[in-house]
Amino acid sequence: MGEDGLLRSLKEQLTNGYRFLFVNAWSGYMAGILIAVLALMIFLWNGMWGISGGYRNWGEWFYYLIGLGGDRPATPWMDPQSVTNLAILAGAMASALLSRQFKARRAPLREYGKGLIGGILMGLGAALAGGCNVGGFYSAIGVFSMGGYTMMIGLGLGAWLGLKVLLWEMENLPPATTTTGSDAESGWSVVWQRFQPVAGGILGILLIAAVYLYAAVDQARIGGLLIFGLLIGLVMHRSRFCFVRAFRDPFMTGEAEMVKVVSLSLMVYGFGSAVIKWNYIQPDTMGVYHPFWLGSLLGGTIFGLGMLLAGGCASSTLWRLAEGHTKLGVTLVTFALTNAAAMRFIEAYHIRHYLGKGLYLPGVFSWQLGLPLFMAVLLLWTLMAGWNEKTEKLVIF
Amino acid sequence: MDLDTLKPHQTVDTCGLSCPMPLLKTKKALKGMKTGEILEILGTDPGSKKDIPDFGAKNGNRFLGMVDGEKGVTHYYIMKN
Repeated sequence: MGEDGLLRSLKEQLTNGYRFLFVNAWSGYMAGILIAVLALMIFLWNGMWGISGGYRNWGEWFYYLIGLGGDRPATPWMDPQSVTNLAILAGAMASALLSRQFKARRAPLREYGKGLIGGILMGLGAALAGGCNVGGFYSAIGVFSMGGYTMMIGLGLGAWLGLKVLLWEMENLPPATTTTGSDAESGWSVVWQRFQPVAGGILGILLIAAVYLYAAVDQARIGGLLIFGLLIGLVMHRSRFCFVRAFRDPFMTGEAEMVKVVSLSLMVYGFGSAVIKWNYIQPDTMGVYHPFWLGSLLGGTIFGLGMLLAGGCASSTLWRLAEGHTKLGVTLVTFALTNAAAMRFIEAYHIRHYLGKGLYLPGVFSWQLGLPLFMAVLLLWTLMAGWNEKTEKLVIF
Repeated sequence: MDLDTLKPHQTVDTCGLSCPMPLLKTKKALKGMKTGEILEILGTDPGSKKDIPDFGAKNGNRFLGMVDGEKGVTHYYIMKN
């Protein structure tokens, strides 16, 4: 084999690697495990992973800049949750570019309206529940905060309600006018199609450089969050990780896959955080503040309805926007503004007191009973979804 | 089956719509069709590229394939059971 053969082999391996990462879809189960591991890394590194706190930071900035008072919020590139959000967005955008899937996507006007209302509902729901589908449900259950379970019930109710609304819309309103062919097959778009992976690669390199920059100014803690966020963005985009499906599909197509993925992911997350808390590597009640039960149930229901209308939750809004879905840009803005306003309202009128308080699962049931209970709930959810997939008993359409 | 010469009995346009609307419209259209008829779905959402083939092969229906057409529109074909 000459030099030629070596080069050809190298090229072939690189092409295969590229196909594996950026052409073929990633398995949901693999993504679920990776996301749990990354959430645990964030938990160890800084604290519980959430998303709506970052949205709130952005909303607060808007109110601060237009002179609606309040203290100066943390700088967005220094606020932990804002940084992880920006990193998810940027990581997903690099991933979309590398996969040649980035494109400014317009939607019919009515869809923007649904995105707007969905964002408002999610912002409000997350304020009541003390977090979104990530901070209020996924991480809450993962770190044994009992509000996570009531939010889970709420998300199910909300998704059912939201699906009813979408079905009503489909049956009663004329089909939304479409905007096919946002750009013609011009020479420019062909060039862009070729150039996309290069742009994605450059963006990726710049983002890694930013991590070094944080370390250079003595902010390695924030830099670490940037890395974890970038990886979450990559995993979520390549696997099209969508929490909404776990709550919607059992009612819509009967599909149980996402329920199984989220359950598996939570099992990894829970056992990891149990080890961390058991050894007091992090305080055992860290992340346990979700208002059990009224706040998280009510907030979860409102959030669930909102995520169905918007077609994205707090996390998938980020990666879908990064792929170019302009509708979810509207959702992001109204989510941020409503969440910040609702949090101000809740604090000003001491409403949190009525919503409930954080309950620690092992604190209530002990570790001996708490862990089996944690497993039992997830197994029950999975088994029910699997049974429903066969029988379609819960499918409403 | 040659997808280019296929004669669909019904076409659903979901261009510009994103998850879950393309799937809902597909499901609704399939409900109103007879055995052996072919449904064509037009869509622009990248998520549909996994969703519609998966769903199209459920309940005994047959997913016949998909073709990327002009202006980023993908055509999907499902035969009703």
